[in-house]
Amino acid sequence: MLVSKAKRPDGRKADELREIKIEAGVLNRADGSCYLEWGQNKVVVAVYGPREALPKHIQNPNKALVNYIYRMATFSVPERKNPKPGRREIEISKVCGEALESAIFVERFPNTTIDIFVEILDSNAGTRVAALTAAAVALADAGIPMRDLVSAVSVGRANGEIIVDLTKEEEDAEDAVDIPMAIMPNTQEFVLLQMDGIMSKEEWSKAIAMGQKACQQIYKLQREALRKRYLAAEKE
Amino acid sequence: MAKRIVIPGEVLTSERKRLGQHVFIRDGKIVADCLGIFIPEAPVASVIPLKGRYVPKENDVIVGIVVEEKFAGYVVDINSFYYSFVLKEGIRQNLKRGAIISAKVANVNEVNGVELTNVRILPKGGEIISVVPVKVPRIIGKNASMLKVLKEGSGSQMIVGKNGWIWVRGGNIPLLEKAIRKIEEEAHLSNLTNKIANMFKEKR
Repeated sequence: MLVSKAKRPDGRKADELREIKIEAGVLNRADGSCYLEWGQNKVVVAVYGPREALPKHIQNPNKALVNYIYRMATFSVPERKNPKPGRREIEISKVCGEALESAIFVERFPNTTIDIFVEILDSNAGTRVAALTAAAVALADAGIPMRDLVSAVSVGRANGEIIVDLTKEEEDAEDAVDIPMAIMPNTQEFVLLQMDGIMSKEEWSKAIAMGQKACQQIYKLQREALRKRYLAAEKE
Repeated sequence: MAKRIVIPGEVLTSERKRLGQHVFIRDGKIVADCLGIFIPEAPVASVIPLKGRYVPKENDVIVGIVVEEKFAGYVVDINSFYYSFVLKEGIRQNLKRGAIISAKVANVNEVNGVELTNVRILPKGGEIISVVPVKVPRIIGKNASMLKVLKEGSGSQMIVGKNGWIWVRGGNIPLLEKAIRKIEEEAHLSNLTNKIANMFKEKR
């Protein structure tokens, strides 16, 4: 594949991700949890459930509800953010919740809800994909049956180059296009795909292919984070 | 036997095997559906989960706490998705909120609601130690070997509920709780019974 050698503002190659650190099981009182650092992004995710959905009228006797709540801390952006959930946060909560719902075996837990609380502590573009990546790890850590993990990354274009994992600086370029995408890495099924900006067909295919490759890298990190705590059992 | 830690969606094997718990088939391959331990040599492909909630099953013996008294019976918390209801019929004592009972699951309906039978009222003065439900088999052990070690080591009475609640009374409860926490933490490792037996020996 043609990947330009030109360096980006922070010195990365076009297909290089920022440094990612994932740790599972960080919160004692949650059923499952995850802390993730993705470049400057810092995310904590707590998973509770499956537990009885209340009030009773929201229960669905055919499947579990996935209640994904994305919230940005007031100090997570340069200028203080109003703690009230805004249009953007409500939208992200909806699309990410639906992305995870397609990975979870929701039909096994009728009348229940799986609560996923995402708190963004620090942000620098790509928080929704960071949050989704962390949420998948937290769900697995909670022991919730899933078809597959969900790995997410953002791809796009800045200054005429197709790149993965855009920073805020790159997102603010004149010709910037941002495509957050999430896939189930073992089946390559898409569970989230958004885009803002305009791209040519060639650019699009190139960007998606780069994104799929990056997702496999992220999947490896998620896998290591989950396995790390129990590795002693394999050595015996 | 070699063990493998698997994560949801990971392909376990492409051989044809009998399907056990926590697996499903995708493109003709056997795949894990939760975080757990997989033993490749075993004849049945199954994953032993490392985390998870209690999903009630018929004939499980569980420990419950009375939440509320109603006219005809008691509402009992069984650490599952919903509370269960036990009729006063056959219960001679008058139970108060907080009373601890043990019971057998008679029937589970399609939304995981539970009916209980064989209700036994546990004597006063006991307490409940709560563990992750998937680790209960390790606390009982093969042929209840671990349970025997725990009972003898601490001198306590114990009733282990499949729902992850363990009723204990008398004896050295702080030591017992320490042992149970150790089992919970190291449930994925082998030779645990000996480790716990040694732990009790040292403390004595």
